[in-house]
Amino acid sequence: MKRSYSLVLFFLLLFWCLGIFSEWLIKIDEHFVFALPFLQKTYSLVCHQEKNKLLFFDGAGTLTCARCTGIYLGLLVSSLLVLFKLPKIKFRINILMAAALPMIIDVLLSSLKIYTYSKLLAFSTGLLLGSIGFFYLYAGLNNLILELKR
Amino acid sequence: MRKYLAALICGFGAGVLQIVPFVKSFSCCMILPLAAFISLLLDQRATRNFEKIAMKKALLFGLFTGLFAALFGSVFELLITFLTKNNDVIASFTDLQRIVQNLPLSEEIKKEVLSIFQSVREDILKSGFSILYTFSVILNNFIVNSIFGSVGGLVGAQIINSRLSNQSNGK
Repeated sequence: MKRSYSLVLFFLLLFWCLGIFSEWLIKIDEHFVFALPFLQKTYSLVCHQEKNKLLFFDGAGTLTCARCTGIYLGLLVSSLLVLFKLPKIKFRINILMAAALPMIIDVLLSSLKIYTYSKLLAFSTGLLLGSIGFFYLYAGLNNLILELKR
Repeated sequence: MRKYLAALICGFGAGVLQIVPFVKSFSCCMILPLAAFISLLLDQRATRNFEKIAMKKALLFGLFTGLFAALFGSVFELLITFLTKNNDVIASFTDLQRIVQNLPLSEEIKKEVLSIFQSVREDILKSGFSILYTFSVILNNFIVNSIFGSVGGLVGAQIINSRLSNQSNGK
């Protein structure tokens, strides 16, 4: 994929991730507060936004739960990585399944109350899935661009 | 239309599930991508075509799944709001008030933001309908669901094609 497309993808993910941290952006420019209810509604489509599962720091909280924040930050980190170097590994489906497994286990075990929900664990498992899952999205977009060029 | 029947079915399912709070706490952001993936599988079975899926087809299926999910999700959400005169905006008003009060903002900005939200809340409590809320729901649903559906279609096709490659290599 051309670097320009990878750059566009990176910036789209960056804006999406910045939206998650809107409450911190308000501290930089107070006019962001007008977008806050709209952004809360936007992220409510992709996250349950349960208060006890959001990440809080310095009096502000994320608009998505720890797990979702991890997934999106994982996507962002990988999109930044491909701007510099695309890993030469062939991403088989087993790798995606392996990356999803810790998250699935964490969701199941914490839902069954085997252990108490941990934001760090949720964030970490989300980060793993997001960072690996990005390469499948990247491969899909790459194949799409090649198909359209034919 | 028949061509995208699988997308319609999965989009309908995703649209309904998106407004069920219990389901969202399990599946989070995966509802739409999973729905797009399932729509590709359903289409394969319906057309009995088990060849590799073209990315253009995967993108279109994902996009249509997202659009149908947005359509049904928006209709159900607005209908439920109209009938019950209650929704997440009403429920989260106290939280939003607290968040806005705790933020380092000028009193003028705080008043303005809360008055916009208050007017939406009052409209919904009175008539079950608010233009701003309706616009927000429709815009959000159509944009976000289209994107997530498309992503799900592309990634889903990668998974299906990878499985097909493994099966043909295994033979």
